[in-house]
Amino acid sequence: AAVCWLAFRQVLPSPWASQARSYFVDWRMLRDVKRRKLAYEYADQRLRINAVRKNTILPRELQEVADKEIAALPRDSCPVRIRNRCVLTSRPRGVKRRWRLSRIVFRHFADHAQMSGIQRAMW
Amino acid sequence: KKDESTTSTDSTTKAVPKSQEGAAETPKQKLLSIIGNMKVEVTSKKKFQQLKTQEIKKQATDNLEGLDSGSGVLQKASADIQRSKPLNPELVEAAAAVASSLPHGKEQTESELLAQLRRHEETTDKQRRGGTINIRNVISEMAIKRQSPAQRGVRISSRISLQMDEDGQRMKPGGLSSHSLDSRRSLKAGRRLNIFAKATPETESALKTVSSPTIWDLEFAKEIAAVTEQPPRNGFEEMIQWTKEGILWEFPIDNEAGMDDDAEFHEHIFLEKHLKDFPKQGPIRHFMELVICGLSKNPYLSVKQKIEHIEWFQKYFEEKKEFLQEI
Repeated sequence: AAVCWLAFRQVLPSPWASQARSYFVDWRMLRDVKRRKLAYEYADQRLRINAVRKNTILPRELQEVADKEIAALPRDSCPVRIRNRCVLTSRPRGVKRRWRLSRIVFRHFADHAQMSGIQRAMW
Repeated sequence: KKDESTTSTDSTTKAVPKSQEGAAETPKQKLLSIIGNMKVEVTSKKKFQQLKTQEIKKQATDNLEGLDSGSGVLQKASADIQRSKPLNPELVEAAAAVASSLPHGKEQTESELLAQLRRHEETTDKQRRGGTINIRNVISEMAIKRQSPAQRGVRISSRISLQMDEDGQRMKPGGLSSHSLDSRRSLKAGRRLNIFAKATPETESALKTVSSPTIWDLEFAKEIAAVTEQPPRNGFEEMIQWTKEGILWEFPIDNEAGMDDDAEFHEHIFLEKHLKDFPKQGPIRHFMELVICGLSKNPYLSVKQKIEHIEWFQKYFEEKKEFLQEI
């Protein structure tokens, strides 16, 4: 309840980003941002535990223990939960990876000649 | 030549009352007046006359004599020139020979040479008596300047302005002419004038330990930087700003920009030395050797990161030791 009236403004200080964004388009985008941060933090750990799990040399008991360990990590730390949303509209589908924009926004900017090197195809 | 002589006579007449004023006031004023006089174009002979008048002025003040009128001083100056020690006849002959050898302007060169010799004699006499004016050396070092007729008016007006200014602060035209002088001749050419005392070397600052800058210092520095920065005047300045921020890469492109990997290739590849603490037989060793093989082929990690990976595995297997021994 306390979170609802906070509007969309969240203060999430990011030590690595030079542009500190505090306004997100919607909550889904916010959650996606949180997932990305957690995934970055736990990336090394997940990689190592998976290295223990996914091999045929170590005993199976050890691998089962590693399974339990990786399941104990926070759910948002896995990279699979990240969705490449449009950066401007938070659209989950129709997003071109190179520009991180949805197809509608991309078309809008390209028509106004604001995308560098993009031209209407004609052949 | 006639114009030069008339202007020089004008300068002498102007110089003499000026020198009178200067001598009456502080030595700083004297200095100023001398420097003002130096700007005026004069032949060597006239300069010598000026020198004599300065000398006489100083002697007069030292002896606490009353200042005579300008004409009286001039007469004294001329009398003094006549009374000056006659030069060595050999030197005179030599001067005449040199003058004759030179292609043109024999009389002028001869007179100049003789004046130079006279000056040398004067300086030696002074040194024997003791207490030479340092400014004499200054003037002797000064080269004769050729002045264009257009600038003459400016010069004379500047001298007049120097006269009027009593605080010793240079007014605008004087400042401008000094700048023009400096531009023609470098500031550090020629002998040291010893007008200013040498700056004492600051040894104290070196002894002071530099304390870490406080937050307030940093804030102040940031404030100054923010206030003084101007928007870029052109595309070049904009690109410079971007390069400093890191938006634009540095050209020619440096492939290793941002990469501070100081480690050699052997530190990346030969990682077996980190496997010292592991058991030498068994599946764990087999597993770690595979890990090392993979890490050695990874060009994206730094040596530190690779060592961290291996250490994490070491810790992990140590924790699981009891569990492994059960099996």
